Amino acid sequence: MLKLFLKIGAYIILILLVLEVLIRIFHLAKDTPQRFIDKAKVEKWVPNQKGISVTGNRKQNHAHYRINNMGFNSFQEFEPTKAQFELALVGDSFIQGFHQDYNNSIGKKIENEIPNIKVYEYAYAGYDFADQLHLIHVYKKDFDLIDQVVIYIDFNTDLFRNEYAVIQDRVALQSPLNNLLKKCKLLVYAKSIGLLDPPKKLLIKLLNRFSEKQTLTSEKNTKKIDKTSLYINNFKKLVQLYGFDKQRFSLLLNTNTTPKPFLNYLTNNHYEVIDFYQSFKKASTPTYLIYDQHWNNYGRTLIAKQISNSIVP
Amino acid sequence: MLFNSFAYFIFLPIVFFLHWNVFSKKEQSQNLFLLAASYFFYGLWDWRFLFLIIASTIVDFYIGKQIHESNSDNKQKQLLWCSIIFNIGILFFFKYYNFFIDSWIDLFQLFGLELKRTWTLKVILPVGISFYTFQTLSYSLDVYHKKITPTSNFISFATFVSFFPQLVAGPIEKASNLLPQITQKRTFNYSKCSEGLKLILWGLFKKVVIADAIAPIVDDIFLHYGNYSASTLLLGAILFSFQIYGDFSGYSDMAIGTAKLFGIELVSNFKFPYLSRNISEFWQRWHISLSNWFKEYLYFPLGGSRQGLSKSILNISIVFLVSGFWHGANWTFIIWGGIHALLYIPIFYFKTNRKYANTIVAETTCFPSSKEFLNIIITFTFVTLSWVFFRAQSITEALEYFKQLLTNFSFEIYHHPSGYRMIDYYIILILFMSYEFIIRKNERTPFNFSSKLVRFILYVVTVFCLVLFFDDQTDRSFIYFQF
Repeated sequence: MLKLFLKIGAYIILILLVLEVLIRIFHLAKDTPQRFIDKAKVEKWVPNQKGISVTGNRKQNHAHYRINNMGFNSFQEFEPTKAQFELALVGDSFIQGFHQDYNNSIGKKIENEIPNIKVYEYAYAGYDFADQLHLIHVYKKDFDLIDQVVIYIDFNTDLFRNEYAVIQDRVALQSPLNNLLKKCKLLVYAKSIGLLDPPKKLLIKLLNRFSEKQTLTSEKNTKKIDKTSLYINNFKKLVQLYGFDKQRFSLLLNTNTTPKPFLNYLTNNHYEVIDFYQSFKKASTPTYLIYDQHWNNYGRTLIAKQISNSIVP
Repeated sequence: MLFNSFAYFIFLPIVFFLHWNVFSKKEQSQNLFLLAASYFFYGLWDWRFLFLIIASTIVDFYIGKQIHESNSDNKQKQLLWCSIIFNIGILFFFKYYNFFIDSWIDLFQLFGLELKRTWTLKVILPVGISFYTFQTLSYSLDVYHKKITPTSNFISFATFVSFFPQLVAGPIEKASNLLPQITQKRTFNYSKCSEGLKLILWGLFKKVVIADAIAPIVDDIFLHYGNYSASTLLLGAILFSFQIYGDFSGYSDMAIGTAKLFGIELVSNFKFPYLSRNISEFWQRWHISLSNWFKEYLYFPLGGSRQGLSKSILNISIVFLVSGFWHGANWTFIIWGGIHALLYIPIFYFKTNRKYANTIVAETTCFPSSKEFLNIIITFTFVTLSWVFFRAQSITEALEYFKQLLTNFSFEIYHHPSGYRMIDYYIILILFMSYEFIIRKNERTPFNFSSKLVRFILYVVTVFCLVLFFDDQTDRSFIYFQF
């Protein structure tokens, strides 16, 4: 039996090694740029990195990214001036656009739509409204030179907190162990296609069995709180804390997934809203990627058109 | 617990290790452990239905013993009928009761009489019921016909009934093959284990890369058949042929491979059925254990082919219709069985039903002759078209599918419902069928090449395909679990 186990072990190791090589040859796994926290406590990518982002199994979607001097994925450097009409897009991974070639980003699409405009994409995966307003606040010098700012917001995921603080969990992604694991492309690929989900789920299921009672009580407590009003209050507090220039700033959102009370609050308080729901609703082909919740090229074109229509240079 | 689940890949090595290292001293302890593992395996799905397996085991163990000990023909017959009524009874109740009630009500409705459906019950179909009831029933029948001597060891018999690799979807084992392997002490055999692991890998490939990968496409085409043209509907039918083959033969390979790990040889269930040159050969290669069961326990008792042409044709029709009905409580399965009867009868009439018995296409050549190739294509076409009834939810749906196939005759390029590249699936199916052709002479050794390097390349390619085509969004349960 020892012979069998040894042989199985040897075969598994050899096969895994060959798979690692094959995944590297076909570039099936995504590259992940390094992240850091700058002096202003803004989390962003280490400047001047390049790589390929891959989505889905069998490389269904892949795109080049380019991190500029400022630490954001963009086709250009951010050099705001008084003379030029500039637009800043502030958002999370949807705006950041690792799912599309950096030369074909939403910003580039807007520049193609509107002549003599420069679009700067201040976007980073995982940014919420607190991150976004804090970023604008600490980079005030730059943003004062920018003529218009569009902030992408998802009511259900971006208003969990009412004050900015560095998210330690995300910083932990930069740990030496994580960096080491990311070097194994087979592992990165397996994780991205959900191959590691079953063991993870099984582990969580086992752990939950032990802490079932605790979860039940905490669930009861969260149910008592009305999420919509909590998020609206968070929005108000963040605006109060970091400021929001209603003359220049507008909110990009999906009115279909945003609760009515929040939409009413925005209208009553004269916030400019760019809604992309209607154009997505009319879309003849899918607007989201396979295996990923982000917008595909067509979805991004629709978003760019929607923003272009509401920008008056 | 599914063979393609992560839990199974934890469960199997543990059971394997304990079986050979902790419980290997005596045959009784090996079997007791396998029995406990099998009940655990089944109980994870629904422990309540374990009682049904245990009841079936006790009844047939007792009846088998009583039949053997009895000297009276009448008593033996009565005991046999008890076994038949019990096994068919539970199968009828759990699987067919609602079907008969609904059909009865529908019949009355035809004559304008409205009956309330208060008689229908909310019954869960226990997984594997069609398989283990047939297996226990065959034991009583074999004892009655004195083909085997009943075992006096209850643990061995219970292990025979509930042996986890083949408990939920076969192969349906005859006691004469499986029971002697269980009653004797098994010793660890390296080459058997190695063969078993290779079969598990090949079965997993068929399930994940072939069946699961094309399942969303088949689901989409059959769900929206009204919106598609003939070319897409034909594609849907062809892909379903591969889905069901990959799914069921993949399961069977994993079952046979797993059994080998415990030193047990199960019968082959599939022998490259899509390389068949006529329908008769197809049935010698598709779900072999079920075909043999019906042949031995239904066709032969009915008189087989020894009582004249018309009686033989009647017997063939009965076997195919019952076989169709065995698959599920729906008229679509009966029609499917009927179609195969209609395809088989002319072959039987012209006495070509044994023409290809125990031979394989291109037996002594590298490639099939043009005649053989044409026969394979014709057989595959008939089989594929008949699958439409098997896959459809109702006869009306199947007929509408065919109507659309024949009337909306145009060609369109089909796009995957989730936007995946379709070319990937076409390539993998062509490569799969080509490889099946290469290994056509032995279904139990899919990687039987003398060169170690070739074997290693094949393992790598198989695992690489598994990684490439794995889709955690697909429902990964086996089609035949519902039967």
